[in-house]
Amino acid sequence: MRTSQHIGNGMKAVAATLLGFVVVFPIYYTVAASFFSLHEFSMFPPRLFPTSFSPIHYIRAITESPLLRFMGNSLVVSGVGTIIRMAVAILAAFAVAFFDFKGKRVLFFLIIGTMMLPPDALIIENYLTVSRFGLVDSYLGIMSVYLLGPVQLFMLRQSFKTIPRTYREIASIDGCSDLSFLFAVVLPLSRPVVLALSLHSFVTLWNTYLWPLLVTNAPQMRTVQVGITLLGYVDSLDFGPIFAAITLMIMPSILLLLVLRKKIVAGIQSGIMVG
Amino acid sequence: MNLQRSSLVRNSKPYLFMAPALVLAYLFSYRPFFKTVANSFSLVNFSGKIIEFVGLENYKNLLVDQNFQISLLNTFRFALLFIPINLLVCLLAALLVYRKRRFAAWNETLFMLPMVVAMSSAALVFRALFNPNIGVINYVFNLTIQWFNDPAWAMFTLVALGVWMAMGLDFLLLLGALRSVPTTIIEAAEIEGAGPVAKFFRIQLPMISPTILFIISTRLRDSMLLSGPVLVMTGGGPLRSTQTLVYQMYIEGFSGGNYSKGSTISVVVFLLTFLLILLAFRFERRRVFYQ
Repeated sequence: MRTSQHIGNGMKAVAATLLGFVVVFPIYYTVAASFFSLHEFSMFPPRLFPTSFSPIHYIRAITESPLLRFMGNSLVVSGVGTIIRMAVAILAAFAVAFFDFKGKRVLFFLIIGTMMLPPDALIIENYLTVSRFGLVDSYLGIMSVYLLGPVQLFMLRQSFKTIPRTYREIASIDGCSDLSFLFAVVLPLSRPVVLALSLHSFVTLWNTYLWPLLVTNAPQMRTVQVGITLLGYVDSLDFGPIFAAITLMIMPSILLLLVLRKKIVAGIQSGIMVG
Repeated sequence: MNLQRSSLVRNSKPYLFMAPALVLAYLFSYRPFFKTVANSFSLVNFSGKIIEFVGLENYKNLLVDQNFQISLLNTFRFALLFIPINLLVCLLAALLVYRKRRFAAWNETLFMLPMVVAMSSAALVFRALFNPNIGVINYVFNLTIQWFNDPAWAMFTLVALGVWMAMGLDFLLLLGALRSVPTTIIEAAEIEGAGPVAKFFRIQLPMISPTILFIISTRLRDSMLLSGPVLVMTGGGPLRSTQTLVYQMYIEGFSGGNYSKGSTISVVVFLLTFLLILLAFRFERRRVFYQ
């Protein structure tokens, strides 16, 4: 009985590792293929291991294409977008969690209700709005539709509500204004949630595709997710620079995942990072 | 007087704090939503202005449009393949590692890794892997399938990509759910002689059903909105076999400049997402077990 259970466990571990390798294979292949020579790409049977580690595709990706500019654009859009998105959500959540006012529930549900209207199905009218504002090919135009994060607002409110309201009374007796109460008490107490939501927001903004594709025409305004598909190597067999570019993009994320693994798992399983 | 003013300031404060969120909700969610609905009942010109009210004309035209029927069918075909396969793969992965033992953390990390790859990168990689002539997939499985030239198979590449991208998140959710099933219940069942199959169907499955329902409803929504992988990997082809609703909306609206038709498709997408999620929650009340 014991040995059969042992064997069962061993088989499960083997099966899990095998499945794990299948799942990771596309990532492994991306890294390996970033070192293939042009000739190796068109070989059959296809290569699975690089024979040399020449950085030529990395150099080509950076010098021949605007990859760095694309990455810079994505960094600005995701970074600034996340800051604004968090600021908007924090202010609204603060109002909902610490103030009593007429119409609070209605206003709160109006904002949360935007979750029912997926942005991808609104692109036609949003494009018209953004172009009327003259924001096509601008960072603000790319960010605009992501500046409101209803999920963020909801999660922040949940977190803020765990802070006793008496804290606010004490603070106001001590002459602490609402905003300084927010910055000195509420935000420090909610730091884990704020950080988790910011990280999630950054990744979401970094990964968006359809909307940035639509509101950018100028090559120098493309975000990296859009730009990388338009590098022009895609239709030839010259995949090298693309794999090199993808490797450059995923390496920081893999490191981040390995370092923050436990926090990310906890964040997802508690629902913070799902929306 | 002074007192009155200060109380006015204090009363308006929460509204001020909520104002940015409300303005954004109006500008980029509600206004475009109602305008999209209005467009779908109107003739709209090239700059997005409504010219005249046409009633249900756009809907009538859309229903008999063969292109639209294909998109609708493809979108459902994707959902029907993607959702069950995704659930099965993630459940299998979670069941293999939910008991913490040696290497469990290592396996968890392997299953999570796809999360770090963004959609467009993943789509480019899968395009190379599925390349019919020199791709790894045909070689490893000894196949000669013309993945992107064969209407019967192209959809499968989208499903494979979809499962791969969804895996990290859904695996973690199921893993968390499985681990929160009290071990005392499982141990009691084991003492009573329940085999692994009975244990899974009688205890674990009912107890993780809220998580499964959550995954099904979010993935239903994602499926109805599928467009990015289509744009990057298959371009809707071959012979429109991977053309989805949002992809068609994008093409009609922007390449074709037909805002009325694009908006009408949008409204269909809204209705579908809404109805399907509603359906999932009706089902929930009867079948889902909460602790």
